[in-house]
Amino acid sequence: MNAVRVGAVVRRHAIVLRRAPNRWFEISFWPVMDVLLWGSLGAFIAKENHSSQASTPYLLAGIVLFWTFTQAQFSIALGVNEETWTRNILNVLTTPVTEVEYVVGVALFGLVKLALCLTTLTVATIAFFGFDLSQVGWSVVPITGLLVLNGWAMAMLLVGLVLRFGQSAEILIFGFNYVLLAFSGVFFPARALPAGLQHVASVLPTTKAFAALRAVLAGRALPWSTLAAGAVGTVVLLGLTIGFVTWQLTVFRRRGFVTRYS
Amino acid sequence: MSARIADRARPEPPLDPPVDPVVLTALTKRFRGKLAVDNLDLTVKAGSRVGLLGPNGAGKTTTLLMLLGAVRADAGTIDLAGVRLPRHRSRALSSVGFVAGYLPLPENLTVRESLMVFAGFYGLRRPKPIVDRAIERFGVGHLAAQQSRELSSGQRTLVSIVKSTLHDPALLVLDEPTASLDPDVARRVRIALLDLHREQHTTLLVTSHNMREVEMLCERVVMLSHGRVAADGAPAEVAAQFDTVDLEAAFLEVADRARARGAEDQGPHR
Repeated sequence: MNAVRVGAVVRRHAIVLRRAPNRWFEISFWPVMDVLLWGSLGAFIAKENHSSQASTPYLLAGIVLFWTFTQAQFSIALGVNEETWTRNILNVLTTPVTEVEYVVGVALFGLVKLALCLTTLTVATIAFFGFDLSQVGWSVVPITGLLVLNGWAMAMLLVGLVLRFGQSAEILIFGFNYVLLAFSGVFFPARALPAGLQHVASVLPTTKAFAALRAVLAGRALPWSTLAAGAVGTVVLLGLTIGFVTWQLTVFRRRGFVTRYS
Repeated sequence: MSARIADRARPEPPLDPPVDPVVLTALTKRFRGKLAVDNLDLTVKAGSRVGLLGPNGAGKTTTLLMLLGAVRADAGTIDLAGVRLPRHRSRALSSVGFVAGYLPLPENLTVRESLMVFAGFYGLRRPKPIVDRAIERFGVGHLAAQQSRELSSGQRTLVSIVKSTLHDPALLVLDEPTASLDPDVARRVRIALLDLHREQHTTLLVTSHNMREVEMLCERVVMLSHGRVAADGAPAEVAAQFDTVDLEAAFLEVADRARARGAEDQGPHR
């Protein structure tokens, strides 16, 4: 691992973010729209039902941490795709930068984008609904960490699919998070899902993270056993998705797919 | 010049001068069962200027992409800058530059920013003075603040050459560097390349469809047909091998023979 090369990847994406106003949408505009949507829905439900676990804090905390997961996924998946969109991938592949260095670079810069996004979200939730997730305390940190790792794992899967199927798979980068939004119990316990789908939700590490979040919001202690189960699932998911993207990288080179982008 | 080289912090130890920068042995590649490169042996000597020629589908680009580690060979071995691929690809590429006339530079970055980023990709620790000198050397200072998408084709090619030589590569691989350039700009690109070769003894491996350009630029040409070497030698020798007056006529003869074989190679060619 060469720190200079990793730093160059960070620099490259920092410049892109500075120059491209559209890249700020995924950091600020869309997350704030989600805060308005889900926060208003929560406020309405709370007003109608007086007391509900679907009320504002649950929905806002859910959307903030959903965007944590999403930003982590975007940082790697969109970072790699930046090179395909700008037909720069062959330029990069013919430098000494390794695949690992590139992914580490975009993931590191993704943490900066995540910090910007979380700051925006915090300001928005406080300004619009008087809700501050940081008031929950340090117990939100391991939950956030778990979701970041799951976002990276999901990015590996999506990058692998884009390497294999090309531009037609890029839509998944934006759409796949919403599948997990439904199946991970971001706003409701997994038991609220239709019976058959609860099994799907139960194996997802993200479901464990959001279950732990709800427990903390309800004033209970952080359920370490739930988090531990989520951590084990995350390690397995990371292993599988890294294996998948490595395999697809081999296929990419063997079949000469780089010429799609040159 | 030597002071400039010494001033650069290289990430890898320099290679011994006698190492042949390109050694391909029995290199073979198929796409969907069709042979693109067929048991190719090719050695490029250090400090030489070699043209890799052939009709469309002859296997030139596939060979270059395998050489650079972007496409994996089905069989055979690749030693790039004295290093066996694919395992040591990163180390090998620290001594190699790649220029393709058809590749754009990253959007949203100015020329200077692109050069700074690529200097980092090459592992150069103090890139600013290196980039400044490269900009001055190739006379592209007036382009430094422009965004890459604002450049003309010729300017883009010149900047690509600057980008690919920031790390003083032992080998510069050029895929159709002057394609779509007007004759004046193409001449400037050739002069820049010949200057680079003269001053730093950079090995040049060039593909081009412009035979006149190849005759000016290269001391040796390797003509490919159906993924195999059809001729190898100095431009005049290759012309003589086909009993033709010049390289272009030899090229046309190879293309005619390829068509006569009745099969066009297919694969990831431009």
